[in-house]
Amino acid sequence: MDALIRVSQVTKRYDNDGRPAVDNISLELAPGEAVAVMGPSGSGKSTLLNLIAGLDRPTSGTVTVAGERVDKLSETGLARFRRSRIGMIFQFFNLLDDLTVEDNVLLPAQLAGMHRSRARARADELLAALRIDRYRNAYPGRLSGGERQRVAIARALVNRPELLVADEPTGALDTATGEQIGRLLQDLNSSGQSLVLVTHNPDLAARYASRTVHIVDGRLAELGVRR
Amino acid sequence: MTARPVLRAVAGGVTRRKVQTFVIGLVLLASSSAAVLALALLVDSTAPFDHAFAAQHGAHVVATVDPAGATPGELAATRRLPEVTAAAGPFGEVTVALKQAGLPLPPTTLAGRASPGGPLDDLTLQSGHWAQRPGQMVLSSDPSPGTNTSMPLGTRLTVTGVPGTRTLTIVGIASSVNSSADGWVLPGEIAKLRTPPIPAAAQMLYRFADAGSAAAVRADVAAVTRALPRGTVTGTQSYLAVRAEASSNIAPFVPFVVAFAALGLVMSVLIVTNVVSGAVVAGYRRIGILKSIGFSPGQVVAAYTAQAGVPAVAGCLGGVVLGNVLAAPVLGQAANVYGVGSLRVPAWVDAAVPVAMCALVGIAALLPALRAGRLSAVQAIAAGRAPRQGRGYAAHRLLGRLPLPRPVTIGLAAPFARPTRTAVTLVAVLLGVTAVTLAVGLSASLNRLANGLSLASTVQVQVTVPSAVPGGPPVAPVPGRGGPPVHLPTPAAAERAVTTALQKQPGTARYIGLDAGQMVSVAGLSRQVALTAFRGDARWIGYAMVSGHWYTGPGQVDVASGFLNATGKVVGDTITINVGGKQITARIVGQVFNVDNNGLGMFTDWRTLVGAERGLEPDQYDVGLRPGTSPAAYARALGVSPAYGASVAGADATLPLVLGLIGTLTLLLAVVAGLGVLNTVVLHTRERVHDLGVFKAIGMTPRQTIAMVVCWVAGTGLLAGVIAVPAGIVLHHHVLPAMGAAANVALPASFLRVYGGAEMVALALAGLVIAVAGALIPAGWAAKTGTAAALRTE
Repeated sequence: MDALIRVSQVTKRYDNDGRPAVDNISLELAPGEAVAVMGPSGSGKSTLLNLIAGLDRPTSGTVTVAGERVDKLSETGLARFRRSRIGMIFQFFNLLDDLTVEDNVLLPAQLAGMHRSRARARADELLAALRIDRYRNAYPGRLSGGERQRVAIARALVNRPELLVADEPTGALDTATGEQIGRLLQDLNSSGQSLVLVTHNPDLAARYASRTVHIVDGRLAELGVRR
Repeated sequence: MTARPVLRAVAGGVTRRKVQTFVIGLVLLASSSAAVLALALLVDSTAPFDHAFAAQHGAHVVATVDPAGATPGELAATRRLPEVTAAAGPFGEVTVALKQAGLPLPPTTLAGRASPGGPLDDLTLQSGHWAQRPGQMVLSSDPSPGTNTSMPLGTRLTVTGVPGTRTLTIVGIASSVNSSADGWVLPGEIAKLRTPPIPAAAQMLYRFADAGSAAAVRADVAAVTRALPRGTVTGTQSYLAVRAEASSNIAPFVPFVVAFAALGLVMSVLIVTNVVSGAVVAGYRRIGILKSIGFSPGQVVAAYTAQAGVPAVAGCLGGVVLGNVLAAPVLGQAANVYGVGSLRVPAWVDAAVPVAMCALVGIAALLPALRAGRLSAVQAIAAGRAPRQGRGYAAHRLLGRLPLPRPVTIGLAAPFARPTRTAVTLVAVLLGVTAVTLAVGLSASLNRLANGLSLASTVQVQVTVPSAVPGGPPVAPVPGRGGPPVHLPTPAAAERAVTTALQKQPGTARYIGLDAGQMVSVAGLSRQVALTAFRGDARWIGYAMVSGHWYTGPGQVDVASGFLNATGKVVGDTITINVGGKQITARIVGQVFNVDNNGLGMFTDWRTLVGAERGLEPDQYDVGLRPGTSPAAYARALGVSPAYGASVAGADATLPLVLGLIGTLTLLLAVVAGLGVLNTVVLHTRERVHDLGVFKAIGMTPRQTIAMVVCWVAGTGLLAGVIAVPAGIVLHHHVLPAMGAAANVALPASFLRVYGGAEMVALALAGLVIAVAGALIPAGWAAKTGTAAALRTE
């Protein structure tokens, strides 16, 4: 089976003199796989995630996701790639405070030009599935951390992306809520959703990812074995 | 309070926040330069003649002397009279008859000057160079009425009435605050340009210790006259007369210049306040961090006031320099409009503007910094992160329901999150569009006004018939226009010759004979009135009516507003006119727009005067040409005969200058308004940079980002435009009558009705244009911002 993600000899430098944030990393992810990227703070795991998600460009090397050379795309191409193929979940949710829960979820679909009624139906479906439909008209500022992260997950899934990337999705949550979010991600993966998960938490990685990749000082320390 | 940490915080803030530092500097640069220019215009418009008179060392009296009547020593001795503080001359003077491309020009007075400079009446060379060799002439930018001021450099003029063929080439344009001559040539040229029977003349320029009143000037002139042999002083021109003439010419233009300058000053103050206070508010999070590490409220206030102050001072100083650079051409335009040689930025303006702007920056920075200083560290950090919770949420919800692209509705809702900033931006754009609306209206009105004065759209050529006693001595064919002396035909023969010539010309559309500007007296009025009597229906000429109607038969007159003001009469009243010793009565049927003879003008049908004047014959023919006929070619084809002379009816030379000044001022104000928008968008972009990262992370394309950022101010711009158009129209309806009142002339209502429906819609969209233009650059920056970097921004 073709890899969903193929990262080949990727290096990312933020300045010419310093040590690279990501140093000559190569890895692959199969469709439907859930990979956890682990490493200490500053190891380069979030940078790697940004490169895969098309939020940043590598200094050298290639990044291919779902057959698209992400490193070659224009800014417009990257935006289209992100909204159609990638769903992003952040540690601090990154919801827009001045939009309601429903509007936050609808936004990627609206940016992609999805028909209004289809987008609304999809948002309804996700809000119900994630058990946050009663907050549809609420603003994110009024929700708990767990509820906000559910909204963020709904937003990430609204365009049915091939890949879900999550950067420390439980990092800002208490343990119990973190567990719930972890299980939610696991359920999504079980239903075929490919997932790249960046985390500090070895327990989360062990329980909810099928493979764990370790990065230290920007280099791949351990590629991990598929469980 | 320890200074070192404050200085470090200031240095860090200035260097780390490069965009903010740049924007503050840029806004202060633009605002200070606009303020310098606006204030200079305001100051120079209060007494432009006096400013120019002082700058150009104007002479209190220009005396014409007969050089044969006094020795050079006697003339030089007048400098030592106790009344005289400075003198210059003698400069040779001659009045010549010139022709341009075969067409005669009005009599032109030339003075001989080796250079433009001098202790008195320092001439301002506006273009070209000074005469360097015989045959070169420098033309006055403000010559006698009737002279074509639009003659470009290089124009060759033929001198008539002198032995041989002499030509003068215009090599420069200069202005004299004393209006001492229509042009200048090298001193050695004067004798060669003099027609032998005419005696030599020279100019002596004097400045006196006491010249504050007409009586004082008269006493000074008497002292000079007494000091020279009898008959040497043949004429004098007081600066008071020139000033009175200049002031009456200047007054109509002052209201619009002042209106533009006031708009510029208000906009500068608003934008500076907005950018500086906005920058300090945007720094609240950093203020919170500084407080958390031990900065006292006083140190916070000092740090943030200084942080805004550093680029502000640099911007102010640069702005003064830029303002002076910009002011040179703009004040030059204003000086041309005012008819004074040159205007300068007063030194105190250069000093006051940076001081006032820096004080404004200090206050604008101090107030939010004081507030931040009083907040706790946690409160300051929270306040600096985002606009107050809840603001603009409803707008997002409502606008989100519109069938518009989502980036557009998100952008349109953004202003509601920062109502104060939005209000200031709205006012800045509003003032900009008000200026544009005023400019468009003024331009249209002034075009109508100029056409109403010159009637150039209907009367393109005028044919003048000399009046002289038939059978009398030979005279010049057309008074003052040169050419060999001839015997004049009888009036009837002249009329036949003119009408035959006009009818022969294929370009003639219509013509009318008139007795132009005959001075008559009117019962109850001490001054003479210029009466124009038309032989036929003159409605096609199209005199603009202020009230009433154009005369429809004999016994009816139309009068200018100056006449009504002077006599207290109104339309419908009857007046008694004394013509040639006989009295006739006529009824005023209309008020016509005309400023000739200071508004003391009267127009009537030829038949009104038939009983009073015998042998009334036309002395002028106004000719309207067929479309596509060149007036100059027509006048040349008509030629000059002993019976008549033809000339092209001149359009108002001041109008292009006024329109140029209006255009320049409007452009400047629109740019300042655009900068105000740019500042708002930069502040907003900085505040929402993290949100921009989120938008981009979930798939917003660069084009969608630009659309969203532009829409942050597009709605504000559109609203400002919609409000500004009626505001501009109201201003126009105040400024134009004020200009008319300053010129002692009532304006026809048609001059005010210049805004059409399509124009108003277009002007309302000007706010959108200014907003989009101001937002495009920061929108481009926002679109280019790296997504990952933006997401990392707190």
